[in-house]
Order: sequence, then C-alpha cells, then structure tokens
Amino acid sequence: MTKVVIDPITRIEGHLRITCVVENGKVTDAWNTATMFRGFEIFMKDRDPKGIWQFAQRICGVCPTPHAFNSVRTVETALGMDKVPDSARLVRNMMEAAQLGYDHILWFYHLNGFDYVNVPNTLQAKASTPGLKAVQDQVKAVVDSGQLGPFANMYWDHPGYKLPAELDLEITAHYLQALEIQQKACDASAMLGGRYPMINNYVPGGVTQMPSIEDIEYYISQMSVVKDFIDTVMVPDLLAIAPFYLDLAGYGKGVGNFLSWGVLDEKSQDPYDRLFPRGGIFDGKLELQKVDLNETRQYTKYSWFGDGVGAGKHPLNVGQEPIDFTKLPPIEGEGLPEGKYDWTQAVRYGKDDHPMEVGPLAQLLIAYLAGRPEATKLVDDTLAAIGHAGDPTVLLSNLGRVAARVIKAKINSDNALRWANELLENIGKGETTVYEELDFSKDGTGQSGWDAPRGALAHYAKLSDNKIDTYAAVPPSNWNLSPRDDKGVRGPVEEALVGTPVIDPEKPLEILRTVHTFDP
Amino acid sequence: MSLFPGLSRRDFLKSCGVLAGLIGLSGPMAVPKVAKALEELAKRPAIVWSCFQECLGCSVSLLQSRKPNPANLILKQISVNYHEGIMAAAGTQAEKSFRETVDSKDFYYVVEGGIATGIPDACTIGGKTSMEICKDTYQKAKATIAIGTCACYGGIQAAAPNPSGSKGVADFLKEDGGITNPTVINSPRCPGNADDTVAILLYVLVKKELPELDDLGRPKFLFGQLVHDNCERRGHFDAGEFVEAFGDEGSDKGWCLYKVGCKGPVAYAPCPTTRWNGDITWPVMAGGPCIGCSEPDFWDKQSPFYEKAPGIKLPGDITPTQVAVGLGALAAVGIGAHAIGQVATGRMFKGAPVEDMEDEGSEEGGK
Repeated sequence: MTKVVIDPITRIEGHLRITCVVENGKVTDAWNTATMFRGFEIFMKDRDPKGIWQFAQRICGVCPTPHAFNSVRTVETALGMDKVPDSARLVRNMMEAAQLGYDHILWFYHLNGFDYVNVPNTLQAKASTPGLKAVQDQVKAVVDSGQLGPFANMYWDHPGYKLPAELDLEITAHYLQALEIQQKACDASAMLGGRYPMINNYVPGGVTQMPSIEDIEYYISQMSVVKDFIDTVMVPDLLAIAPFYLDLAGYGKGVGNFLSWGVLDEKSQDPYDRLFPRGGIFDGKLELQKVDLNETRQYTKYSWFGDGVGAGKHPLNVGQEPIDFTKLPPIEGEGLPEGKYDWTQAVRYGKDDHPMEVGPLAQLLIAYLAGRPEATKLVDDTLAAIGHAGDPTVLLSNLGRVAARVIKAKINSDNALRWANELLENIGKGETTVYEELDFSKDGTGQSGWDAPRGALAHYAKLSDNKIDTYAAVPPSNWNLSPRDDKGVRGPVEEALVGTPVIDPEKPLEILRTVHTFDP
Repeated sequence: MSLFPGLSRRDFLKSCGVLAGLIGLSGPMAVPKVAKALEELAKRPAIVWSCFQECLGCSVSLLQSRKPNPANLILKQISVNYHEGIMAAAGTQAEKSFRETVDSKDFYYVVEGGIATGIPDACTIGGKTSMEICKDTYQKAKATIAIGTCACYGGIQAAAPNPSGSKGVADFLKEDGGITNPTVINSPRCPGNADDTVAILLYVLVKKELPELDDLGRPKFLFGQLVHDNCERRGHFDAGEFVEAFGDEGSDKGWCLYKVGCKGPVAYAPCPTTRWNGDITWPVMAGGPCIGCSEPDFWDKQSPFYEKAPGIKLPGDITPTQVAVGLGALAAVGIGAHAIGQVATGRMFKGAPVEDMEDEGSEEGGK
C-alpha cells in the first residue's frame, strides 16, 4: 500500500488536498480536503438584503455571476417576486452566457490542458505555419533561459502524455490564443456589468439599467469572436486529442447520480424550461427525474464543525459553528485521515442521502434526456466521432466530463447571440423595463437554484425586519467535493478517484486528471 | 494569427509609453527609459504569488491585463515561478518550485487573499498555515505587493464578526508576525485591478524604488484621487440631478448615483480614469453605485451599499470637493463612518449644515 498526498492541488479555485491509497497500480481509497474556511454564512447574517448579492458574488472570483444571480433571485423569491421583467431576464442571461464562455475556455486550456498537453515536447514538433513557429520559438526561449516559470517541475516525462509533438504545439498555441479569447467574453460581460470579475449591475428586482443598443452590439461582436473560437478551435481540439486519450473513458465514473438546478432562462422563467433544464439522474439509470431545492441535506461528522451542525438538516437550519478543527496526518510518512478531515460539509440529496455529481456532464445528460435538440445532436455526433455511437453511458467517465464542458460551451455561445438579438427586439417593441421596486418591509424565505459553470449552485435565505436572518449557499464544490457523510459514504470526487490507475505514485498525473475533470 | 500583439518594435514602444504614463514618468526620455529598462531585464524577474483566503478574483482580474497581455506578461516579462492558479506542477513538485525560488531570495512576492490569524488552520497550503508561509516569504522577498482588498486589509472574510480572524499582510506582519514597520505595497480594490498590478510591478522594476505610499500603504500615483472627483457623472451631482430609483428617468439619463448608494465621494481609486477590462468600462457606467471597494473594512463601513453614504454635503451649500476631500482624507487615516458623519455635520470642523439624514433612515456605517 502506498499513500499519495497532493497538496496543493493546483489549477483550481480554492485550496485542496487529495489523499489516496494506491495498491497494485490503482487508487483503492481517497479523501478530499478543502483547506480553507472563510465563514460567509456567519458574516452575511444581519446585513441589508438589497446589497447581500455583493457579498455573495465574492464567494467565487472565477464564477461571481451565478452567485450574484442566485443571491438576487433568492431575495426576490423571499419577497414574493416570481419573475423579473423580460428585458432583465435577457440581460442576466447574456451576462451568464458571457461568464460561461470565458469559464469553459479557461478550464479547457489553462486549468485542465497541462494534464494532457506536454509543453516541452513542442520543441520536437515540425512547425507547419509561421504562427506555430513563433510559438515554438517562444517556448524554446523560455526553456533556454532556464526559467520555466509556470511550466517548471511538472511530470513532463510521464508516459501518460500521448500526443504527437505537432498536436502539443498546436494546442500550446491555442492555450496562448485562448488567453486573449477569454478576455473577449469577460469584456462582453463587463460592458453590461461595469467590470469583470465582480459585476455591478444586478439588484433584487432586475438590473440597474437597460443596456444601450451600442452596448448590445459590442456584446454581439465580442461573443461572435468567442463563438467562432469555440466552433473552429476548441471543439476541433477536443476531437483531435480524444482519440489519444480514450483510456479516460475507462475511469473516473463516480457515483452515477447527477443533479442540475438548470441555468439560462427562457421566456417562461420556469427552471424546467431552461436552456439547460433542471433535473436529476439516480443510480446510473439514464432516466430524468424532477428535483426539489429543499431536498438538500448537510452532514458534518467528517467536517470541521460540530456533529450536530449538519445532522441531515436543510441548509437554512445548518450553522457553521461550533468549529471543531482537528489536524490532518502529515503529507510525508504514515497516517490516513480519520474522523474529521474537511472544511466542506457533506451535501446529500433526498431521503436516501444520494451523493450527487454536478457540473457540465450532469447538465448535458439532463438536457439530452429532456430531448433538447442541440444537446441531443452534439452528444450523438461526439459519441460517433469517438467510436461509441448510441452509447451515452461511455460519458460517465473522465472523458465524458472533458467532452461535456466543450459541448456545453458551444451550446451556450450559440444562444448568447440569440438572447442579445431578443433584447434588441424588446427595445424595438418598447419593452425596456428592467427593474421593479420590491417591498423590503416584508418578511419571507426565499431560494434559488441556477447552475454555476462547475455545477449546481443554490442559495437560500430567510429575511426578517429588512435584514438577512439566515443565509446559506450550497456551491457545486460542496456537492462534488463532499467528504464522507455520516454513514461513511464517499463524496463524488472521492468515489471517482477509486479505480483511477497510478503508474508512478511519485508523479500521480492520473489523479490530477480525475480531480481536474470536476473543475473543483 | 496574432499570438503576441506587442511584439513589433512599434507596438513595444507604444506599450512603453502607456507604462511610462502609468508610473508617472514624463518628458522626452520617458519612453526610451522604460524601453531600455525592460530590455535590460535579461533575466525575467521571478514572482512568487501566494493565494490565501481568497476567491481567485484578483488572479482572474490579472488575466484581463492588456499592456502587456497575459501571454506576454507570463512568457516575456516576468517568470511566474509559483502561482497555484496557473502553474502546471502540483503537490510536492509545486512545493519544490516554491522552495527553490524563495530560498534564492531573488524574487518579488505577491499576495492575494487574507491571512487567517484567528483560526490559523482556516488556510493551509502543503500543510503550512498562511501565517507561516506569509512571514517566511516576506522576509526573503525583494519587495512584497498585496493585491486586492483582502491581502491589503483582510477583505470580505474580515467583515464583522471576522470568523477566521482574517487580516491584511501588513497588519498580520506587524500584529502577529513580530515585524516592526513592514514594507508592503497595498493595491486594493475588489478584485485587484490588472493595470494597478502591472503598473506597480513595473514601477518597482523600472524605477528600482518603491512608489510613494499613502497612510494606508497605497501608491499615491494610483490611489491619490477620489472616485467622485473624476466621475463622468460628477456634473450631475453638482447640478443636483440624481437617480432616485433604478429604472427611473435619471437612471436612463445617466445621472448621479449618490442617492442610490454611491460611495464615490469617500473612495480613493482610479476607476473613472483608467477604468476596467482594458479601459472599456467601470462599475458606475453600468448604472450601479460604487461600493467603495478600495477602502479598508468597506464591507462594514461602506455598507449598506444601496443607501446614501452618510454625511455627504449636497450641492447648494459648501462645495462638494471641500467636503469630499475632507471626508476622504479622514477615511484615509482610518476614521470610521461615525466620525465622518461628525465632520460633515460640522461637529468637528466648521462647515455649512448638511442635508438632513434622518428622513432617509440611513444608518451610519451599516452593520
């Protein structure tokens, strides 16, 4: 038995330690540990409900927009507002679509890319164009300088890197190009929101102002570049590298339960009507089920909080105190996590306490089962391209998670332009109301589920005397990176790690791959 | 394919001109001076970037840099030897990159996020606490820059009651690290702004000295002016034209956001001049009020965000600049909203009576 600890897991948002037991070349047990605590639910208490979303969006600097959306929506539902004006819906959709465009590009190239693309190997390539030659020269200059910077000390000699040098070079070039393309998507969001990250145009009741026609046209021009990049570079890159990494279909299967609260509203503003609709899949059976935000339950037997804090309670009834910190075993040497080992609370769904995988794979499978035409066609095409036509179960794997993010990025960017055009039509019809004043003197309890790029995200709040009485956020990483629950059942990432092959425990590339497919 | 815009000599010199302006160099020799200094950096300066109690927003913000763009910044101008968000290596191999650079003592240290001092184990990396890592790295760095309001002053997780005891780098070093008069360049705002970060790095690298700092550790060349004084809606403030509610006529006409909560009159930042995401926009352009994110403890002192900043003089009595400058200066030395209220109501220095605050039910300092 070999103990493998990776701390820090890099190329993620947040702080994460992964501990694995490796026996006979495979992971046989795993623990994930979030190593940071900030206490949002504690300091959000007693604040002004109108401005609480400014706090909430700081939960994640990579995905502030869905936190902002859920927070204003939670306050709106608490105060009895079912729908926002249609033009406000479109502005929020456009902001979300821009955020998704940047996020999925960033994940595919900059966070996940180095697990598959060998940067030093680009020097062995025959550069076929002047542009690729320029990139190769630049990599060579960095290597020759002896200052490898962010590329230093990676497992570049690991046999798991399988791309031909020419493909390594091409995708490295796209890595650099993508740094510019993500800016286009962020600019599109910033033009409406005042800046990105950390937008400034949301408010309970709608948005602060109607964008001008020039702003909308700017948005269309930026998102057209993003769409073009996804269609002509990112999707082809996925299809180019997939044949070299088909072994990824053989591990990382996980818990087989999938959850999405849905994201991107159509005119009805009904969560089951969204571009990516609300739904659940249970026990690996590809059948679509309805899901309820109030079936979320939290446990703390293995988290650094008192056992009674969680105990299967609804998020609004869970606290964050008392804190009960115990040490972790050292990275080197003996000892596996025992008892409490995580700042994340275990989140489970329904009376059977299902651990749920969330993220683009869940969103895409649910859209596929709901018969959304774009999802159906793209999933079927991708399955055919990788030689698994008609067999979507092959997607329940690391390969499926990588592919799902790229497919979802495409569906999203196609529709971003549709919503921008709908907003222009609304202006033409004189439908320019984007804000309705709410009555903040009312008390109430509200909730909102709207997925972040990395998966199901929900906020809950109880309002009393124009103050936040209780606030709870359940982000996607609380689902995917759940520790064991009170019954000892592993969380989704922990379960996906079991069975992951490890050729060299000193260079656990395959473990990084499984973890990164969740975009933790 | 334009992978490296800025590569041509012409574009390079153009960037140098922008940078010279940013760091306050002027005159005919400014551009050649910056160009020469950059070209002489034969060895790219090494950067160690620590993420502590943060949301990664400051790093995402840095990716929005234009002059230079992120590819040039990473490959040509600096050597990012340690940054958990972007580095390829993980675990022990990442720690190796960290140790090699820190032990060389030939690097600049950038911190994003607060330091957990109340519960040290609320932030650990590689089994070490943010307190241990920050103090040791600070002591070996050539200069330390705190990016974003969390690293400067504790930021959002330090909002009352500050459950983890989060502090900014300078306060931590002074109060818990036993270091008298630590030198930390603070570059606040939430998130930190890419242009600020690049300008400060270049200032230090090109001028080979630290910029002049205000009492809150912020470079004066960036944080010397009130948002309010450079706001394009300032004319509407002076004319008494205000947005009374989002979506009203004033909102459509781009009037002043003071009455719906704008904290521009008490926040020192270059938002209206250098703007965001390149230079395309800034928060007030979206019709939302400034939340004062460049100021210490703004989560407590500048909130509620959608209620008027207490005690700001409206047009018709003494000039807004007089009041604003007075208030800003006091805010800058850490006097809270309560004291600002006293100033503006004439209890601390002479001034005309201010607008009656009672009718709006505004609470001083929020929570």
